[in-house]
Order: sequence, then C-alpha cells, then structure tokens
Amino acid sequence: MNPRGFVAISLVGLVAVGGLGAGSYFWSVGHVRRWTGNPTLGFVSCTHCHGNDLNKTAWAKPRPHHPAPAGLAVAPDGRRLYVALDDVDEVLEADAETLAVLRRTRVAGGPFGLALDRAGRRLFVACRHQDRVAQLDLETFREVDSVFVGLEPVALAYTETPAGERLLVANSGSGDAALLSLSPLKEVARPATGREPFGVAASPDGQRAWVVSRLAEPDLAAGGASAHPAEAGFAHLFLPAASELTLLQPATGRVLRRVPLESAHLSEDLVYVPARGWALAPLVKVRNLVPITQVAHGWVMSSGLAVADRQGRVVQVPLDEANAYFADPAGIAVDGAGRRAYVASGGSDVISVVDLDRLAAWLDRADEATRRDAIRDLSLADEYVVARVPTGRNPRHLALSPDGRRLYVSVRLEDQVWAVDTERLELSARLVLSDGGTRDPIRRGERVFTRAAHTFQSQFSCRSCHPDGHVDGLAYDFDGDGIGDNLLDNRTLRGIDRTAPFKWNGKNPTLPFQCGPRFSRVLMRTDPIPADDLRDLETFLKSQPPARTRHFTELGKPLSPAAERGRQLFFATQRPDGTPIPIARQCQTCHRPPLFTNRLKTSVGTRGPRDVTDEFDTPHLLGIGASAPYLHDGRARTLEELWTTYQTNDLHGVSSYWSKHQLNDLVEYLKTL
Amino acid sequence: MRILPSLSGAWLAAVLAGSGCRESPPAGALVLTQTPLAATSSLPAATVLDERYPPGSRVVLLLPPYRTNDVRLLSQGLLAAGDAVVAPDGRTVYFAGRRDAASDWQIYQARLNGGSPRRVTAMPGGALNPAVAAHDELVFASPVPPADQPWSPPQPAALHALKPGEKSPRRLTCTPHSALDPTVLADGRILFVTVQPGGADPATPRRALFTVNTDGSEPTAFAGQHDGGWPLLRRPRLLDRQWVGFLAAEHPAAGDLTRAEGVRLARPQFSRTPLLPAVNARCRALEPGQPGEWLACLEPLGLNRRGSNDTFAVYRVRADVPETVTPLFDDPAWHEVEAAWLAARPRPQGHMSSLDPRRATGTVLCLDVNETSFAEGPVTNSAARVRFAAWRQGAEQVLGELPPHADGSFLVELPADVPLVIEAYDAEGRLARRCPPLFWVRPGENRGCVGCHEPHHRAPRNVRPLAANRAPVSLTLPPPALAGPVP
Repeated sequence: MNPRGFVAISLVGLVAVGGLGAGSYFWSVGHVRRWTGNPTLGFVSCTHCHGNDLNKTAWAKPRPHHPAPAGLAVAPDGRRLYVALDDVDEVLEADAETLAVLRRTRVAGGPFGLALDRAGRRLFVACRHQDRVAQLDLETFREVDSVFVGLEPVALAYTETPAGERLLVANSGSGDAALLSLSPLKEVARPATGREPFGVAASPDGQRAWVVSRLAEPDLAAGGASAHPAEAGFAHLFLPAASELTLLQPATGRVLRRVPLESAHLSEDLVYVPARGWALAPLVKVRNLVPITQVAHGWVMSSGLAVADRQGRVVQVPLDEANAYFADPAGIAVDGAGRRAYVASGGSDVISVVDLDRLAAWLDRADEATRRDAIRDLSLADEYVVARVPTGRNPRHLALSPDGRRLYVSVRLEDQVWAVDTERLELSARLVLSDGGTRDPIRRGERVFTRAAHTFQSQFSCRSCHPDGHVDGLAYDFDGDGIGDNLLDNRTLRGIDRTAPFKWNGKNPTLPFQCGPRFSRVLMRTDPIPADDLRDLETFLKSQPPARTRHFTELGKPLSPAAERGRQLFFATQRPDGTPIPIARQCQTCHRPPLFTNRLKTSVGTRGPRDVTDEFDTPHLLGIGASAPYLHDGRARTLEELWTTYQTNDLHGVSSYWSKHQLNDLVEYLKTL
Repeated sequence: MRILPSLSGAWLAAVLAGSGCRESPPAGALVLTQTPLAATSSLPAATVLDERYPPGSRVVLLLPPYRTNDVRLLSQGLLAAGDAVVAPDGRTVYFAGRRDAASDWQIYQARLNGGSPRRVTAMPGGALNPAVAAHDELVFASPVPPADQPWSPPQPAALHALKPGEKSPRRLTCTPHSALDPTVLADGRILFVTVQPGGADPATPRRALFTVNTDGSEPTAFAGQHDGGWPLLRRPRLLDRQWVGFLAAEHPAAGDLTRAEGVRLARPQFSRTPLLPAVNARCRALEPGQPGEWLACLEPLGLNRRGSNDTFAVYRVRADVPETVTPLFDDPAWHEVEAAWLAARPRPQGHMSSLDPRRATGTVLCLDVNETSFAEGPVTNSAARVRFAAWRQGAEQVLGELPPHADGSFLVELPADVPLVIEAYDAEGRLARRCPPLFWVRPGENRGCVGCHEPHHRAPRNVRPLAANRAPVSLTLPPPALAGPVP
C-alpha cells in the first residue's frame, strides 16, 4: 500500500471511530436523559442501570467466621460459664475458675443472648438469625426445644411469676418482646416495645420486667416543638428523640408503663438491682439537634447510665469525664448486694466501675433540677466512677459470678473471654478462642469501625451512629456547609456495596473518600483514619448485608398477595386507565433492581426550607423496611408518609391514583426488599 | 579508579565525624537545665528568660549512672540556655537559647550526639517555651516578654506553631495578654497559660490554664479560672493519665514559683490541689516520670524556709510518699532547675482543621445566652441584647448588638483573629454577664458555646437552637454609630 492510501484509510478509520464514539456518547447521554427525565445529566456509566447482580456484591459472598463471644451466663453455683458464639453457631461451657472449655454444642441461627433458669438446669438461647429461642438441657448439653419469636431476638431474662416460669425475649428486629411460658415452651404474649429492644431484665419476684430499646424515635409527647417556627411537616425534626424503657408485668406481658429516655439511645443491656429497686441501662446521650460545630465537651454525644426507680422515674447520669470519654457503652452487670455496677465501653476497651453507694448518695443530695441536668455535667462521673479497667478490643457482654468476685467479659473482636478479679480489678483468667481473626480484613475493618480512638478524645466510633452498620434513626446538622443548613438523615451502611456514590448529595465517589479526610474534618476532628485501616474499613462495610426485614420462617417463600400487588404497583408503567406513567416517574427507573438504585441524583420535590439543593442521591432500597426515617433529612417517619404527607405533585413516583389499599400494598412489598 | 575507595572512605569518615558519631544516649538518660549558683552578670535581667536562665545556664544530657562529670553539653556555644523539652519520639530535644548578649532568645534543636545545636526559629523579639505537638510540629511562644512586665507588655507573647520543614510559623493565639508555657495534651490540644481578667488584685493578675487546637481554633478555659487557688501559675505538664501538674505561687515577689500543684483531668475546674503536700521544698519543675512517679526539681527547705543545701536537685517523687528522699541527681556546682527523661511517650492525637484561610470571619453559635453559672435556678436577668466588641490596641471597639432569640440562642459572624468581648444586657440596659477578651474565632471557624459564662464542663442540651433556623447576623465591621473605643 502506498503512503497516500495508508493515510487515507487511517483518516477514514479515525473519522469512523470518532464518529462512532461521538454518536455513542450522544446516544447514551440522550438515553440516560430520556430514562431519568433529568436533562442535566451528562455521560454516566452503563453500570448505573445495567449489569448489576446481587451475587457479585461483597456481602453476598462467603466470608470467614469467627468465634466472637456474645452473651454470657454464669451457673447459679458459680462453677460454670456459658458463652454464646453467634458467628459460628455454637454455645460453649467453660470452667468458671480456669475458663477451660468443657463442652461445646451447635445451636443454629446465631446464638446471641443467654439466660439460665433458677436451678441452672436449662439454658435458653436467643438465636438472632433464625428468630427463635432454643432451650438447652445442661445435663446433656443439647438443644431440646425451640420456639419461634419475633425478628432478631438478642436478649433474654428468666423469672418466676405466680402464673409460672417466664422468659422475656427482646426482638430487636420487630420492635417487640416475646413473653414465653416454659412448660411448655411457647409464646404467650408479644407486647410492643420501643424501636430495637436490646436489653431485658426481670425482678426475681416476678413482679416487674423491663425492656430497653436501642433506637430513639421522635418523642411527640414531649412537646417543645411549638416554639419552633418550622414549616408544616418539619416540626418533629426538631424534637428530641427518645428511646423507651418499657415496664412490663411478666406474668401476662401487660405493659405497665412506657418511660421515655429523652435523647438517649444505643442502650444494649439492662440490669435490675433488687437491693435498690433500680433498673440500670447504659446509654448514649445524643445531641443531634445541636449543630455540630465542635466535638469537645460532648457536643455530639456522650455516654451515660439511666437509673430508673420503682416509680419509673429516670435520672440520666454521665459515665464520661471532662477530658476522657468511654464510647459505646454496652453490657452492664451489678453485684448481688447492689454495691457496684460494671459497664463495658465497646468503643474504648474499658470497663467502668460504678460505686452505687456513692451514686445513691449523690442522687439523695441532688435537687430535681440538678438531677435533670446531671447527664450534661461532665465533671460528675468522678463522684461515683471509681475505676476504669482496660480490656481487649471491643468488650460487649458482661456477667458476674454469684459471689461478685469475678467479672466475665466478652472481648468480642479478639475472640476472647476475660475473667476480671473484682477486688484487684485485674485480669485473672482468659479464654482464647482464636487468634482474633487478624488475617481477615473484614474483621480488622470491624475493629476500625468500632474503635473510638479515631475521634477527638475517643468520644465516639463509627458504630456509635451506625449500630451493626445500620441506622440510628436520627438526622444531624453538620456545620461544614453552614450552621442550620442541610439537615441530614443518617443513612444505613448495610448493603451499600456497588451503590456508590455516597452521602445524600452524592459527592463522595468511594468509601475511602467518604470515611477518610472528609469525615475526619466534619466529624472526628482528628487525623484521618490511616490508609491501611481505611482499606480494612471499606472491606468491612462492603461485607455488610442489607438489614433483614422478613421473618426467618418467611424467607424463600413467595410474596404475600398484598406484597405481590405492591410489586406490580412498583413496576407499573401505566395507570389502571391505561395512561402511561412517564419513565422518569416510574419507581423502577430510579430504584432500579437488583440494587434498587440507579446511583444518580434525582429531584423528587423534597427540597426542605434550609436545603441548598433539590437533587439528592437515590438510596438503595434493600432492607428499606428497617431503615426509617426516610428522605434526605429523615422527615418521613414511615414509608407511608413518603406518599401521604411528603409527596408533592407526583414527583416521587406517580401516586395520586393510588387508593389507601394500594399504598399499603406497596409498603408491604417494600418491606420485603 | 584506585583512588575511589580511598575517597569514599574519607568521605564516610568526614560524614561520621561531622555528625558527631557518638553512641546514642542509653535508656535512663536525663535532659537537664542547669543554672549557675552565682550570677555572672551584674546587669538586670531584660527578659523573663534572662531572669530564669542567667548567663552560663546550660542544657545538658545526663547519662546513667548520673555522675557529675559525665554530662554531655547540648547548648554548646550558647551564652545561656534552658526551657528544654523532649519530643514524643524520645530523640528530639528543643530548648530556648541565647547565643550572646546582643542576640535574642530563640528555639534550638539539640544534637544529642554532640556538636552545636541547630537554631530552629528566627522570631523577632525571640522565642521561648518549646513544645511538640502531633506530627512533630513545634509549638512555642514569641516574643520573649520583658522581665518587668511579662503579661501585659506592648507586644504580648503569642503561641506559634511550626511544622517540620516549614520556615514560617503560624500564629495560634490572639489573647490581649501574653500566652506562655504551652504543653501538649494527649488529645492534641495545646495547654497554655494566660491572664484571666477580673482578678481581685490588679497588681497580681490571675493566671489560668486554657487550651487551643493546633490550628488556633476553640480556645477554651481548662482550669484555674475560678478555683480561688494561688493566682500565679506556670509550666503546666501532662504528668500521666490522671493529672496535669504546674507550678503555683502566691506572690510574684517570692521571685520564684514554689509549689507543685495539679488538677485531675476528670474534673480540672474542681480538683486543684498541691501535688506534693508533704514535701517541704521549693519546686522549679515537675515532669512526667516512670509509671507511678513524677520527676521534680526541688530545693528542700529547712525550718527557716531557707534552702537547706542551697541548690536545686532532681528527685523522683510520688504523691503518696511523705518526704523527699535522696535526690536522683545533684551537682553541688549547679542548680538543676529542669529535668526530663529522654524517653519516648505516646504521640498526641492530631487535629484535622476545618478552617478556611480565605475568609476573614468566623461564626459563633450560642445555644442559650441565659444559661450561666452566675445564677442559681432560673436566670432572672434575662439578656435582652448581646453586644459584641473587638479588642484592638488595648481598647474595645464595638462591632454591634443583636437581640437573642426567644430561647436565648444567637448566631453571629464576627471578625477573625481578634480578641472578642461579649456582653449580655438585660431589658433595663444593665450589664448582666460579660465574657472578657479571652476568646477569638479563626477564619472560617464555626464556634459553639453552651451559654454565657455557663458552668464548666457542661455538655449542651439536645435542643435545636432557634438561631440555627436563620442565617448568621454579620457583625464584622463596627457600625459608624458605635465605632470607637468604649469609654
């Protein structure tokens, strides 16, 4: 070929390739604009809508399992310790003195919470992943009975009532408590509790039982919003949320009182102190209504203890100090005499030792106003916290020997159980279940996720706002974009693999970008998380599956008729009268399966009075039934409110033709995702 | 080519010799400041450092087993030196030094293996009080205050920070009085001393401890503001996980700060106490020691309150030991006035700055101007208006006023890097509360406060302030009607 021919062919080829490229570009831009109805979108990747497969997500792939200790129970004679290992489906029995493992048994479904009967012959196990309570015979150390309860049971309390033995179960996923009779093992009542009940306790006389919830909800009864000139539909955003301490009659399950714990949440345990008539629950005092201009002085949150007396009066007292914080309080244990309480701080790797005599003396001295503001006084804990005992990584559950001399600690992320001598406050024995999974990046990432040391003065960890990687149900006002502007609902971190970008404004293209320097500047106010830790954190976050919203017994089954009708509504392309629904307003366009997001910003008419934009990232809908509230600022408390109170001009899907029954059907379907 | 190995060997030998290739200091080495027993100059001290470290004062490295003739001079070639600090890496030592009578005091970095120290700062008016923050950032005060007027000189000392490799330090503080004696807490904040206005005796202004971030944001009262203790304090140090120690004195006329006091980190505003109550001695320095003990430079006093042996020496002390025992080191030819272990310690937390240097203002959000420690129970003299002033050239320049919202909150944009005065007036125009010019905002800083002189260590209520629903009121320039000094 002569040079001229070569040049000519090359030019023609280049023009053809260029033309094809340009044509593809303009076609794809037009394609995206046509399907989204958004004329401002430029070129976007095909994978926003196509080629997604849930099986390719990190959370759908097998992962290593670890013998992480969860619930603990000590035999009434003090000779045996029982440990739940939820991640490997085992319960083990250890010598309470030496911590040598004596027996192991398999209990399917994520054994998490434990409780013994009074004689120490039966061990009851809350199986979190299979929504059931298993009964183990301790003579044979085998499962002998089981009963299904509500969603994700995590804690149990045994008591004897005039009506017989009772077991109270906190169903964290369904927001209720199962009351079980034991002979036979069956459910007799299921009273509603606060959101995500996580701690239960019962008085030995069987007269009272308490359930504490982990998440807070707007406390509409508290009032106070009337002073706020918020626009209609927004007032509740400016109300302090409250978690709930539910007082029950254990014989019948009748709710005696619902006590709000104002601006408190993340209570993960509860203990009853018969000698004082107190129920004690560790808590996080959250200050989400205050713009986050700083972290110092507990400006964002601090740790405390709720002290509820027999009348249901509650005083919240701090566990933190003026210059030292003990994040993510989890387990609590109190000795039989009611003299000392021990509180595990999962984020700070510390057990705080509370002298209850001193606390009682302070409560006696304090007037009503002082008690009311006690939780704000960061110099107060010095009055009654008498020691801080360092532990391994992430202490969670606690149990005391009957004589109160030994405190057992689930050191969860090191796969160890510690026995602490309560007189010397020193480690006396250790049960090592594995090497702690240090070679597993998911495990390492979970350690980063739960470590408060990344925050100024170790005030909180990622988990403090994202318990189990999920939501805390609150909206926050970050000051980076102006004080008072852009209130932001806390989005779930579960099921987020392949759903980039992140943040409600969609500005963070990757998780390291989201969790690195940006987060350090707006929230942690310290050095960014180191690069290696950040990589592990990303691996951990991507490994988190969406929240489960269907009961174990319903998994794999066809949709209910109502949910099926809702599904048809979700994928509808025309109204019943045949009128086409614009593509851009069809649910499936933005919330495109299988991730139920096209990962693009969209305007659905939800701009609030202090928002600087009306375009927000489209969230995925996996596990949506468990991630209330909704919309970017959390204004919609329920899925229903999305299309009742907060639907404007059919912008967020075309809902104006729906009947209330159709709306219910749609919500039923969404709750199955 | 045969000459190449010889040249390489010579070059290596020269490098090793130039670097003062001596063995690294062994574990247990101490960095000491020694001052001569008798003054070598009859001239009055011009600066606080001249007074504290007269000519001949030196910084030395003392090696175990602590013999008087086995010290390594770190301030070689300097007329006077002192104020030494060991960085968290346990290998870097900074101190203040003066080359000759005509030069300023500056910060020097010691060469532990021998040789002349390297000058690190070149600040007009000199530099003093080195401290080391996160990422090996050097913090110091400058200029060196005059001896006769250390706290309110025409140009008060301010804290500065200098990152490794940078030449221009950043100013951190804007106090109207000198800010001195910085040290770094484990959480990364810089703890320093300045004057707390409003003391009972104008001749002896009360000093108190404050903190500030390494970008100069969030200046905050730490301890000593209202505890009624001795008004003079100096040289704070984080002693361990529980205590911050410092030197305290009742009268400046004593000529020397005497008593080791401390506050507990758990409640620094309410826990001030003598740290060595049973020790009858004058204290010149208190530093962290081995676990369970501290390192102190003491001059034991006899019954007549005079020095029993007339020299300061180094002691290992514990709060629960009743008497000072044998000194760890005492050279009778010198006063050992400061001592620190040459040992690594946990590095402080870093601080991620959110400032915006392009801006000239910062924003203050007060949650409730009526939340105050000045009243028991509900505040009766509710603030009807809040006045803001900037402290410039020793006088207040009013920036403007605003009425607080119904819940007592306000949100205001104020000029950056200038001491601010905030005053709350009641409906009758009476001054209800006043925040003296102790605080400032940095460019782009969003600053929050719980109340107006609220009780210390008080976390906010979880209440949405009404002020957050409005844009900040801009009071960045004095309006003509209010411009000018306040009478």
